[in-house]
Amino acid sequence: MKAQYINPFLVASMNLFRNYLGVECTSGVPYLNQDPQNLDEVTGIIGLAGETVGAVVLSFGRETATSIASKMAGKKYHNLSNEVVDIVGELVNIVAGNAKKDLLEFRINISLPGVLIGGGSKIKWPTGVPVITIPFESELGRFSVNVSLKV
Amino acid sequence: MVMRNIHKNILLDFGIPDADLFEAPDGKQALQIATSSSIDLFLVDWNMPELSGIDFVKAVRAMDCYKETPIIMVTSEAAKYNVLEAIEVGVTNYIVKPIKADMLKEKLGKYIIWGGKR
Repeated sequence: MKAQYINPFLVASMNLFRNYLGVECTSGVPYLNQDPQNLDEVTGIIGLAGETVGAVVLSFGRETATSIASKMAGKKYHNLSNEVVDIVGELVNIVAGNAKKDLLEFRINISLPGVLIGGGSKIKWPTGVPVITIPFESELGRFSVNVSLKV
Repeated sequence: MVMRNIHKNILLDFGIPDADLFEAPDGKQALQIATSSSIDLFLVDWNMPELSGIDFVKAVRAMDCYKETPIIMVTSEAAKYNVLEAIEVGVTNYIVKPIKADMLKEKLGKYIIWGGKR
């Protein structure tokens, strides 16, 4: 997948985590994920439809998800409560919605966000479409933004 | 839920009594509230279960009592075509998330004055 399709998600993520939430983070080199079911425990998922198909998945460890949610809400969460889950959905919603503005080639509709906890449920990636993973290191732990977009 | 609470707290900061604020977890319930109550200002997301923000705005604008009522869309949908579509169906102001509480407050200040009256 060309950088022009990945960069909008990278920029949207940086804007959200670093500029808006004030979480110090750096992105690693995006790579083709050969095992996209094997992500961290907490995953926020948005489906993309319209003139293309795809999905955006934010993936965090439990502690990182809880810490980032605390930043977002301005109050301390100690475990993976319903509010933390709600915020994870909001985070992926913001990344996907913001990335759309730089994906000028397609008119895209985004789905309502879903959140999976633990490894019991499988992510429904679009068939035959590669998944690119953008790894992030942050002061609150590592996380990743995973993008599958049919181009 | 959390974002609704954040927005609600901003409106409470304006001095609007809690009893005057209505919130709904989805577009359908929001429309029921709009139909059964008299609303002075709507804060609506684009992506809502049951009924999208856009369909909600269309339904509300079709009611005579809400032709001029401010409808503020607060959403992550940042594409230009989304903004244009929202304006076309009657959204008064369009705010892209993420937005800091103080910035949202400033934008809402165009439609609300302290004490909760327009």
